[in-house]
Amino acid sequence: MRMKIGIHGLTSCYGCQLKMACIEEILEVAKNFEIVYWNMASSKGEIEKVDIAFVEGSVVTERDEEELKLIRENADALVAVGSCAIHGGVQGMIFGEDYEEIFREVYGDSLIDYEAKIGEPLRKYVEVDYCLPGCPPEEHEILYYLATFGIGSYPEEKDYPVCAECRRQGYPCILIEKGMPCLGPVTVAGCNAKCPGFNVACIGCRGPVPHGTAWFDSLARTFKEKGMSKEYIKRRMEIFGKQYEKLDEMIEKVFENED
Amino acid sequence: MRYVKIKGDKIYEFLERLKNYGKLYAPVKISEKFYDRKEIDDVGEIAFDYQRTIMPAKKYFIPPCEEMFEIDMEENEYREKLEEVEPFVIFGMHACEIVALRILDGVYLNEYPDIYYERRRKAGIIIGLSCLPDEYCFCNLRRTDFVDIGFDLFLHELPDGYLARVGSPKGHKIVDENPDIFEEVRQEDIDAFRAFEEKRQEMFKFKGNFDNIRYILELTMQDKLWDEESEKCLGCGNCTMTCPTCRCYDVQDIPEIGGKKGKRIRFWDSCQFRSHGLVAGGHNFRETKRDRFLNRYICKNSYFYPLGTSYCVGCGNCTYFCPANIDFQENLMKIRGREVIHE
Ligand code: SF4
Ligand code: SF4
Ligand code: SF4
Ligand code: SF4
Ligand code: SF4
Repeated sequence: MRMKIGIHGLTSCYGCQLKMACIEEILEVAKNFEIVYWNMASSKGEIEKVDIAFVEGSVVTERDEEELKLIRENADALVAVGSCAIHGGVQGMIFGEDYEEIFREVYGDSLIDYEAKIGEPLRKYVEVDYCLPGCPPEEHEILYYLATFGIGSYPEEKDYPVCAECRRQGYPCILIEKGMPCLGPVTVAGCNAKCPGFNVACIGCRGPVPHGTAWFDSLARTFKEKGMSKEYIKRRMEIFGKQYEKLDEMIEKVFENED
Repeated sequence: MRYVKIKGDKIYEFLERLKNYGKLYAPVKISEKFYDRKEIDDVGEIAFDYQRTIMPAKKYFIPPCEEMFEIDMEENEYREKLEEVEPFVIFGMHACEIVALRILDGVYLNEYPDIYYERRRKAGIIIGLSCLPDEYCFCNLRRTDFVDIGFDLFLHELPDGYLARVGSPKGHKIVDENPDIFEEVRQEDIDAFRAFEEKRQEMFKFKGNFDNIRYILELTMQDKLWDEESEKCLGCGNCTMTCPTCRCYDVQDIPEIGGKKGKRIRFWDSCQFRSHGLVAGGHNFRETKRDRFLNRYICKNSYFYPLGTSYCVGCGNCTYFCPANIDFQENLMKIRGREVIHE
């Protein structure tokens, strides 16, 4: 019997699902898994019992919350897919700010038929079993996750930073060499250090390294020594790391005896 | 030992000839400040005055990521991925890196040799090159500043060419087969070689040795220096990945969709990462960043008895390539007591 999976999108750009839809071996996937729900690919399908639910996006509306809870109730295992689902995503950047004001600024007087929330990761609402990081995730990782589930096992999640892959690729370190604000040291690996490979500083799109080993404080110190301002460092780290526990505190600590 | 000379104007011809013995890899400049070894087409690109490469030569023997074998359940087969390794030549290895390879030999070629490493090692021809230290180098303190074994040829810079030491049967073969490249060593070459060695010794930042550093380190593990330094650390692993003797790898099985086929890969790992110390049951030998930070210091300073050196060869890579500017040599100096060693 084929394993049943559901693929869902809450509030996000739908890029993760698009990536899943575009993988070369999609036909192999369709052959080996019964996809009972995938709104992006087919308007048919109800949320029903599945072995694994893949959920993209963060919880930004009441509707997202309800849907997520329903998905959870019906899934043996739930995989948070992508930076929105795992960390709240770019829309989660306003976390901790004056929500009412931002809401007014964004929507003005337009009629909104739902109550919006600040984008938060899935784990704030339901139990998450696995994380498939990326913005969007890499094809080889999507396949790896699916394949390991398919044989009744589970994926080994990476817990080390982009730097590791940068070194394995042999790219010049642009943080050392050019003082560029590379977030590779705090960002979870998996993209093979794509951006440093093009001489572009990592912006942390895959999200912080898990298990509390994203050392934003040490990196803020390194950036500070290169002459970057607190405001700049904070802004940059917040794009994908805003909801990382103690981010504020970690940055504050480095600039403590200044102001 | 046999000594010969390569006249300055013949060096590029010599490098061209090396290609007859296998693919030629040598240091080239890859960016503003960094060098790495690449396959050489135009020998004019080779950097002779490079100090260190961002990827140590270990990459030719333990690639950063390699597929070990495939499994095919339909055919009930297991297929090793390692093909025959064609001979290759690594040009321009400094003394410390040659010692580093011998340390790796001790790890990978013990009573259970690693076949992947072994085949590549047998295929590799090593051409050493003399160097002058910068402020990051401390091979002298490690007693690895001069190698007497582990290369096929070793070239020492002279004002008008190179004095070559022949270190193996392959080295003899290269010399014998290219008589037009080599000539006799003269008295002035010997004088120049001696002067170079003297000048080199004077250039090291610190004099003395690190023989007792392991013990001092063990005795000072509670020192607050380690709190401060590990606090600065990014846990990025650059120090271990650029270390010529770091040899830790991780292994992963990657099934294909459907589970009928799969492969096993291995790739460079680092003790600076959480999962390096993670074992069954969720226990971790190195829970904290401080534990992980110190682990590298302990590992690198422990004693590699077959060579009588430490696992660290004093190349300075881990400091040079640390984005957080953590100075390995300086930290060891601090606990060792600078005044004891500085002349
Ligand atoms: S360029 Fe960025 S990702 Fe690469 S090693 Fe440097 S800090 Fe890490
Ligand atoms: S290098 Fe950084 S920003 Fe670029 S893809 Fe990887 S995680 Fe994203
Ligand atoms: S520990 Fe540092 S100095 Fe020692 S061999 Fe490794 S990279 Fe070189
Ligand atoms: S334990 Fe750490 S320091 Fe020692 S070889 Fe492995 S990665 Fe290098
Ligand atoms: S390179 Fe520096 S910052 Fe990175 S893990 Fe090593 S000591 Fe820490």
